[in-house]
Amino acid sequence: MARGRGSSRPVPDLIAFVLLLAITAYSTAGGVDFGAGIWDLMAGNSPRGREARALIDHAMAPVWEVNNVWLVLAIVLTWTGFPILFQKVFSSLYPLFTFALLGLVLRGAFFAFRHVAEEPRAHRIADVVFGLSSLLTPFFFAASLGAIASGHLVPFSPMSVAFGLVSLAATAFSGASFLVGDARRYGAPELVVHFQRRTVVAAAALIAVGTFALGVIWWQAPDLLRSMLAGKGLPFALATMILTPLATFLIWRGIFRWYRVLTVAAVGSMVFAWAFAQSPYLVPGQLTISQAIAPPPTQVLLLVVAAVVVLVIGPAMGLLYYLDQRSALESPES
Amino acid sequence: MDVDVDALEPALLPSRIQMAFTLAYHVLLVPLGVALPSLTLLMEGIGIYRKDPVALKIARRWSVVMAVQFAVGAVTGTILSFEFGILWPRLMGRFGAAMGLGFAIEGWAFFLEAIFIGIYLYGWNRLRPRTHFLLGLVLPPAGLLGAFGVLASNSFMNTPGGVTLGANGQVTDVDVMGALFTRALGHEFWHFLVALYLTAGFMVASVYAVAWLRGRRDHYQRLAFAVPFTVAALLTPWQLLIGDLAARAMAEDQPQKFAAMEITWQTRDHNPEVVLGLIDDQGEIHLGLSIPALDSILVGYSPNTTVRGLSAFPADARPTTVEANITHLAFDTMVGLGSVGAALSVWYLWVIWRRRRLPDSRWFYRLAALAGVGAYVCVEAGWITTEVGRQPWIVYDTMRVSEAVTDAPASFVWSMLAALVVVYGVIAYFFITLLLRLSARWKREDLREEAPEVGVPYGPRSGKFETGA
Repeated sequence: MARGRGSSRPVPDLIAFVLLLAITAYSTAGGVDFGAGIWDLMAGNSPRGREARALIDHAMAPVWEVNNVWLVLAIVLTWTGFPILFQKVFSSLYPLFTFALLGLVLRGAFFAFRHVAEEPRAHRIADVVFGLSSLLTPFFFAASLGAIASGHLVPFSPMSVAFGLVSLAATAFSGASFLVGDARRYGAPELVVHFQRRTVVAAAALIAVGTFALGVIWWQAPDLLRSMLAGKGLPFALATMILTPLATFLIWRGIFRWYRVLTVAAVGSMVFAWAFAQSPYLVPGQLTISQAIAPPPTQVLLLVVAAVVVLVIGPAMGLLYYLDQRSALESPES
Repeated sequence: MDVDVDALEPALLPSRIQMAFTLAYHVLLVPLGVALPSLTLLMEGIGIYRKDPVALKIARRWSVVMAVQFAVGAVTGTILSFEFGILWPRLMGRFGAAMGLGFAIEGWAFFLEAIFIGIYLYGWNRLRPRTHFLLGLVLPPAGLLGAFGVLASNSFMNTPGGVTLGANGQVTDVDVMGALFTRALGHEFWHFLVALYLTAGFMVASVYAVAWLRGRRDHYQRLAFAVPFTVAALLTPWQLLIGDLAARAMAEDQPQKFAAMEITWQTRDHNPEVVLGLIDDQGEIHLGLSIPALDSILVGYSPNTTVRGLSAFPADARPTTVEANITHLAFDTMVGLGSVGAALSVWYLWVIWRRRRLPDSRWFYRLAALAGVGAYVCVEAGWITTEVGRQPWIVYDTMRVSEAVTDAPASFVWSMLAALVVVYGVIAYFFITLLLRLSARWKREDLREEAPEVGVPYGPRSGKFETGA
């Protein structure tokens, strides 16, 4: 990809990086949640499936809607920091966002509903809607990134479908990996095995779909592929190619150390590989960071706000995850 | 008379309906979202200070409602932020660098709230009472900051400022402080903030007013009624004052909107105040009660004050007749119900002050039971007043709603609207069912002890995970 157009300026690049972090956080943290939803759908109605579903429910309850926050941040950063990008992307890709949103609301509503539903049939319907909507959101959000990466902003194209499929495999992979941890935490050895197997299957699917996606990128956006495999995206592309099998290997062999960190790093690297490969473009061939960036005073305020967040929200978020992972927040009664 | 923009922008009508629907829905979740944490902390503080387990139990129950409704608000709020792109891509494309600032602040505040609501809810029995209370103290300022952010953005739409526009109307420079603190922000912020607190107070208290009417008169009921109702009663009279200041500023800053609120047609002095009533295309007033010169007196403290009328503005730069009537009726509803609320508050405070005890009149509790719903109607009416009254502008006097709307086909927006109506209906049903269930469970639980969060979807896990459960 041609470089050098629009000399790189540190502040706009930093804001673009913060935006990338929000997208990555949603892809990884949100991905774990959506992935759990996918396994919920696949668990079926056998006794083992019901156990798996109970675990998923149990593991998800405390943090799931915190993940919406990353999404809101990404949106807000886009329209404030890169208003033209926001207008361009939404004017053309609105169908993708609408489907993703539909998944989001349905998921939230039916996750709540299955706790309220008493009748088995209603409960089952709630399970299915919840599971199906867990497919919609990751697919369509990633599809929008694919449409952006293609440089054409066409909602339904080979690139958008390829990105959507990769996202489904990646969420299934990270969901299964974290569910292994949850099963261990709650002392359910059969479910540990259950999700170990599923992690391996999902990893295989991810590698297959990922390879297929590289083919699609080669076909549709050869410049992007070059930059991904021989440019700025390379370190991250390599990282994801190494970390995905590594995390899977650890889980498969029952070496329960670092596997969740590696899972997050593998999925995060994938997002980074795409973003760095197409930088300094926000939309390849159409719009660069420096063309779309808001006036300097806005940039400064965005950075100030982001800095405050790192100082305040970072530790708070850490505390919540720490307490949650240690189960310190559970109700004591049993 | 009106420009037929519908023909030019096919998606305009469904987009406006969809935005109105989703915002009207979301606005209902805001009072408890912003103010319930404060009420809960107040109750928890009372419980810790007086070593009163009943107050702590109430606080803990309220925190459950707070979390459930926060989860719903998080979803509807996310939808709204996407609608800015799906329905009005050109609004943010043009003004995002200025108008988006408030939302950027709100985004982070929302983040903080989400985290601390989690910690607060899950920390009830795991953290020491003082630590739990102190961590909870992050919530009110976070809510405040969020409200500030959203209102800063809304104020920008009402009284844009802090931006330099280029030849093509694009924002070329932004004065951050000027864009955040526009003229409307001062009164919008205080008016809305006080509205949220008094609405939350009336709403929560109304639940226990019903309990009183049904014969429950114990310490639990008295405490859970008195704390929120006192907060609301202390705030309501101030709201009349703030509202009055806001209306006066409106006459100055947004004269079209003010003319619509008062359905004033001709610019004149000795302008009457029309209570209810409707205006037609010729400027005739039908029905309603006209009080001579009162509007002029309210605006400028003198009957000689000139008030600008709708006819002073070009037809395509002011609300249509229908919009003016909606604005006017919404405004009157808000002022009318607000005044009833203020009278009820004075009654309450009078009894407390003179007799040192809670009122014991059935009529008082009947009105108090209605006050919660009344306050919500006021919030909706106030929101309708400011939004419909701004038409046809999305950014006052600068950008039209029709200029901001999406190019998506109307059929697409109609379908999305239909889907949202169904899903939102389902959410409302679940939400209400859940609240009723909680209420029933807590009633049972008062007979035998049980943790309040048991069985709540967003609550802490109930004890150990058991396979085969």
